[in-house]
Amino acid sequence: MTPRARWHPWAMLGPTLALLAVFFLAPIGVAAYESLFSWDLLTPPRFVGASNYAALAARGELLHVALRTTAYSAIVVLGTMSLGLALALLVDRPGRLFALVRTSVFSAYVVSWVAVALLWMWMLDGNGGIFGRALHGSPLGDPGWALPTLAVVGIWKLTGYSMIVFLAGLQGVPRSLHEAAALDGAGAWGRLRHVTLPLLAPTAAFVATTSLVTSFQAFDVVRIMTQGGPARSTELFVYAIYEQVFLDLSVGRASALTVVFFALLLALAALQLRVWRARGEAAR
Amino acid sequence: MIARRDVLRASAALALCGCRQRARPVREDGRLVVTFWYAYGDLVRKVLLELVARYNASQSRILVKAVHQGDYFEALAKLRTALAAGAAPTLSHVVLEVVPYLARAGVLEPLDDYDGAREMPFVPALDQRGSFAGAGREPLVAIPFNRSTPIAFANARVLEEERVEMPRTWEELAEAARRLTRRASNGEVRWGFEVPVSWWYWVAMVGQAGGRLVEPDGSLTLGGDAGVEAIRFWQRLVRQDRVMRQPPGRDYQAWQSSNESFLQGRIAMMWSSTAYVRYLEDNARFPVVAAPLPRHVRASVPTGGTMFVLVRSAPDEEKLAAWDFVRWMCADEQTIAWSTRTGYLPVTRPAVQRLAERGWYARHPNDRVAYDQLSDATPWPWSPDLFRVDRDVVEPRLEDAVLTGRDARALLDEARSEARRPA
Repeated sequence: MTPRARWHPWAMLGPTLALLAVFFLAPIGVAAYESLFSWDLLTPPRFVGASNYAALAARGELLHVALRTTAYSAIVVLGTMSLGLALALLVDRPGRLFALVRTSVFSAYVVSWVAVALLWMWMLDGNGGIFGRALHGSPLGDPGWALPTLAVVGIWKLTGYSMIVFLAGLQGVPRSLHEAAALDGAGAWGRLRHVTLPLLAPTAAFVATTSLVTSFQAFDVVRIMTQGGPARSTELFVYAIYEQVFLDLSVGRASALTVVFFALLLALAALQLRVWRARGEAAR
Repeated sequence: MIARRDVLRASAALALCGCRQRARPVREDGRLVVTFWYAYGDLVRKVLLELVARYNASQSRILVKAVHQGDYFEALAKLRTALAAGAAPTLSHVVLEVVPYLARAGVLEPLDDYDGAREMPFVPALDQRGSFAGAGREPLVAIPFNRSTPIAFANARVLEEERVEMPRTWEELAEAARRLTRRASNGEVRWGFEVPVSWWYWVAMVGQAGGRLVEPDGSLTLGGDAGVEAIRFWQRLVRQDRVMRQPPGRDYQAWQSSNESFLQGRIAMMWSSTAYVRYLEDNARFPVVAAPLPRHVRASVPTGGTMFVLVRSAPDEEKLAAWDFVRWMCADEQTIAWSTRTGYLPVTRPAVQRLAERGWYARHPNDRVAYDQLSDATPWPWSPDLFRVDRDVVEPRLEDAVLTGRDARALLDEARSEARRPA
């Protein structure tokens, strides 16, 4: 289809571009600008150049927050993908029982993060929670276990979503291919490895991307369950930004963290695009 | 041409309370509305709302609307944002550590010239001038509301069974905690002692070890050797003696966890706020005994809780109405109701006197502990950086030291150098 005038595509793109400019690009620009100031919202800002970045780097905070967030995301993405795929393969069958299991697993994804966090806090509570009592204390109080525990909560919440997307992907795997493979002597494992998994690769890439973005944006679960503690062991990027601006009174440092967070996500997205393109070219 | 920096400065200046006054007071059914942001849950919230309802019923001119805003720190975050956005309430209450910062930012209403402000008969250690060292020349901006000190609580039944007395010194505390700690064969532990590893209790211990956060010449030392000794004592109880549990969670989540553990009999002694006296007494299935915090080289406690503040940018008529409510809350009857139903300190001298005359303290000795401790209260420094030093510099390092065993002196050296760096 050829546009009648050169400006027609821009007119079509206009509303989206305007929304992106107002709600994404402009705020990032403002954050980048404010990261050069020391400002507490209430007193006049003071220009400090790159001091906010230097202070965050000097304290090791930038590196620690980035590593922590990456570790949390890695556990959540790997956990949700493997569990989601396993469950999808298990419940991709007709019958009421499997429908009930599918609905039950997916229901966790529908529940709000706040409700999920409160539910898990109750179960992990060292005074009366089912897990807390079994473990003789809450793992949320241990700096070595608090982050993996939050990641488990994230996996529990997101696995339903991953399972549903994998189920949709499984519907797109032609039955004839399975039959042909079976005729060629492939067993269940062989059909899974050489037929199902390769055809699920685009679905897996989609699940990986969306889970990565969701896990990088983790806030509610940290805010409710640990407030970044103990000893900052669960301070992830978005929570660190919140803490800097609202609890530590430092808009400049929060803005600096925001800029770094944006750059990190941009780099990850670019890397992912590159991998996809390379795979696409190889497939051709 | 206007530079971008000028735009930012101008918007910041606009955000300053004095420059962005809400023009018109709000009215509802002919009554002047005072919006009051508060930060309590559970019992304290219930008592406060009952008092507000009583005030609203007592007259027909002013309507106080109390709006819950989460815990102290959530409420403060919302207050600061609302101040910047020009949408702040008329009245709120804030933790002591943040009062100097808000005062310097110019967002608090000076109260010296308000009717009766200078004559209110507050308990000296609890009003603005008694709560802050060096605040004598500062304008009056904060009125004591829910005031407290940390105190020690114990399960009296367990103390009796184990023949342990309430400890009066740090060494007695360590020994009592050792004798009260019990490890069952199934791995369950009844801890001898528990206290949230947080700023307020650390400040108490710094004072007890003979130090102070800020020296009289204004230099910030964070207690020097006393600060180190306080952290090492915690490290010893948690890591070496293994008689103290650090409650999970931060801020009030940790406090709540301690309260629950105490009520379930899973800890024998704890430090908490006098604010919980009534809650603990009403909910425990054992007798609760309270006592002053133990001393080390001396006795010392910080005061805590919050102060009423009026927002400077509110319309004058609303501020006068809010002041009427604050004065009503500080009258004897309300002060007594607030204190006896929660455990917070009565903030005026006549209220204390009436409680003593009525025999309240004889019947409720736990309520008297915090008041008696005021003789050992150490005022906070009037420093605009105090809140930042608390939240950003010291608090995370305390957890770090106790949970990971990092060297206390190195951590405090690091904290001092960061505290001295401009925000």
